[in-house]
Amino acid sequence: MPENSADYSQEIDNGKNLRSVICKFCTSIILTPSTASFSSFEFDLPLMSQRKNDGNVETETVTTFWIVNDMFTFQNVGFSHTIGDKKYLTCADCEAGPIGYHDLSEKKMEEITAFIPHFSKAQIAVGTIVTYKQIAVAA
Amino acid sequence: MAKTYDYLFKLLLIGDSGVGKTCVLFRFSEDAFNTTFISTIGIDFKIRTIELDGKKIKLQIWDTAGQERFRTITTAYYRGAMGIMLVYDITNEKSFENIKNWIRNIEENASADVEKMLLGNKCELEEKRQVSKERGEQLAVEYGIKFFETSAKASIRVEEAFFTLAKDIKTKMDKKLDEVMNYSWFKIQC
Repeated sequence: MPENSADYSQEIDNGKNLRSVICKFCTSIILTPSTASFSSFEFDLPLMSQRKNDGNVETETVTTFWIVNDMFTFQNVGFSHTIGDKKYLTCADCEAGPIGYHDLSEKKMEEITAFIPHFSKAQIAVGTIVTYKQIAVAA
Repeated sequence: MAKTYDYLFKLLLIGDSGVGKTCVLFRFSEDAFNTTFISTIGIDFKIRTIELDGKKIKLQIWDTAGQERFRTITTAYYRGAMGIMLVYDITNEKSFENIKNWIRNIEENASADVEKMLLGNKCELEEKRQVSKERGEQLAVEYGIKFFETSAKASIRVEEAFFTLAKDIKTKMDKKLDEVMNYSWFKIQC
């Protein structure tokens, strides 16, 4: 279980993302500044690369997320096919993922919610790019 | 909550299996990720944001997800579609011949004023070409639609094709809106 006790406070402004959230692999812009809300809860997100192919999905527990209430808030993103009651999110350009999920069962009042793990994708304005490992460790 | 965009266009990619539709789904990066988890379940649609004439446009782009193997794409898939990219593979004659069938399928199922565009994909494979550029152009003229030869793999003209399609849809919508506004104004005057 990753340690996510980082100091996010500098990334959050009024509960929203201070800077753009970009793909750590290809820097495609996923969310523009101030469009997603910070939230903290536990979710088991499948790992990008699965070691075994025996049907058991390997996951990691992610505890910090950016949340949007409308899928069209995303600047660029991919939605996977539905598995159970979820769709998983990918980078729209390099298709790295899952970088988050979209819960079809949590629809309320026509609003759709999607989550992006804060620690893995949260980056960083033009210039500095913090790697996954740095953020994860820092978190 | 206020909308963060001016237009939302639903676009579809249609064509035979193996013509590279999935790649046309805006894969700009050289090193596309091939993660086991995502590649197993597949991508349903993508959301892309572009700007045209200072307006923010959200594109929701759908792939046929293998339905085309059965040559039947249901009306549900076409519902609400405003633009369709018809894709064939320039190295595959059959995929080009089938464009006519796809157009028939669209005419039977999609809204009559859906904006269409023809894409001859895989143009980086010149040595394996079976369909000349002229034949593509001619077919497009026949149907009164625009035509591009693209290489999703080499990122050639894919972005331009999407921008052009979006621009044509926007022009059509703006014109319709103008007509409605003029009509309302006329009614008020009367």
